[in-house]
Amino acid sequence: MSIITKSPFLFRINTGSCNGCDVELATTAMIPRYDVERLGCRYTGSPKHADILLVTGPITARSKPYLLEVLDELPNPFVVVAVGTCPVSCGIFRDSYAIEGPLERYIGVDVNVPGCPPRPQAIIDGVAKALEIWKEKIKAIR
Amino acid sequence: MSADITSFLIFPGGLFAIALGLTLLSFERIAIARLQGRVGPVFYQNILDIIKLFNKEILIPKDSKEIIFKLSPIIGFAGMLVIIYFMPIAGVYEGDRDNGDLILLIYMMALPAISHILGGGSSSSPYAAISVSRELKLMLIYEFIFVIVAYTLALYVGRGEAVFSLHKIMDYQLTYGSFLFDWKLWPAFVAFVIFVLATLDMPPFEIAHSNADIMDGFLIEYSGIPLAIFEITDALKIVALAIVFQIFFFPMIIADDVAINLLWFLFKTFGFVLFFSFIHAVVPSFRPDQAFKFLLSVPLALATISLVLVLLSIKGLI
Repeated sequence: MSIITKSPFLFRINTGSCNGCDVELATTAMIPRYDVERLGCRYTGSPKHADILLVTGPITARSKPYLLEVLDELPNPFVVVAVGTCPVSCGIFRDSYAIEGPLERYIGVDVNVPGCPPRPQAIIDGVAKALEIWKEKIKAIR
Repeated sequence: MSADITSFLIFPGGLFAIALGLTLLSFERIAIARLQGRVGPVFYQNILDIIKLFNKEILIPKDSKEIIFKLSPIIGFAGMLVIIYFMPIAGVYEGDRDNGDLILLIYMMALPAISHILGGGSSSSPYAAISVSRELKLMLIYEFIFVIVAYTLALYVGRGEAVFSLHKIMDYQLTYGSFLFDWKLWPAFVAFVIFVLATLDMPPFEIAHSNADIMDGFLIEYSGIPLAIFEITDALKIVALAIVFQIFFFPMIIADDVAINLLWFLFKTFGFVLFFSFIHAVVPSFRPDQAFKFLLSVPLALATISLVLVLLSIKGLI
């Protein structure tokens, strides 16, 4: 059981983010100081491989169908992490006509990582918390 | 050790090769992480990945050709298992003396790419279709390079008459010295390195399988057990290529003892993977057209130079 949770595959989708959070997400994997691969994580190119979904951005009208498609394609069990203030509460964009967020409307969010943008340490902490939730979800299925 | 069912299922094929290959894949990830100043995953990370993938849900797209979609991972996996059974390892394992030859090797090395093409083609995804067309284009040339390198060695060993037996190629080098130290075959060695990079879909040839521009290519629709089988095939392919490298260029042994030779074989294999992870960490990737042009010019020219040098040396001109 605990063996399985040592190998999470991450998939990230940008739903109209300003790229700030995406830069932070990329750095958690890429730059020397913050190494998300130490937890066994790996970024995948396809949502069908993923265990943890990282969502950035306030979900614009244009990106909403793609987000819903990705949510459909994730194999069970999976965990959703909202990275940044935007998917949590839409942030400063909340009154815009083009915003269909927050993420909570479409799927149960397991971990919120607020911040504009959140620090890499906070994102890694969020992923570590998501691993705990993922473990419980696997237990519930069995 | 001669070839029988144990050598197919447990050592050096089967379980041993899968465990070694998965460890090599993790080792590659660790090496890249260390080169970038990171810590990297644990050395058995890819084994954990496989265990996890065996426990995941399997999704099958509605529009896919379901039978081919499910069966195509098996083709490459079977091909790699078989070829590791046939190939000799210097001082450790004899391989199949009568049937282990270059033609079989060339056929079997193409099978993983064919399973990628069948799987990607039957999965009904446009990204997979793009990836399949790229893989086909690459395959068209890198197979050709491999054939020329193999034929050069066969001619050199037989002094003008092509010897296709893997065993005889290995025995020749055990008697007269490894080809890695023969200057006439250095261009062929460089061509072989480029062939390995292209066939493993590694940078600078990470164009059929990159997750940045085509979302993992032919693997996009796969999940669960079929994806795990594709990963195991990759692991076996690295082991198979390491053995091919040691047969073609560096079969040197250091003792008569099997255990010491096995450790030496593992040392050479890890060195081989370390070399390729270094290339993986430092080079960016080509565009498809650049990769095609590069493969068509540089390695093909190098392989041909080696062929000409070998032909001249057989005639006694150099």
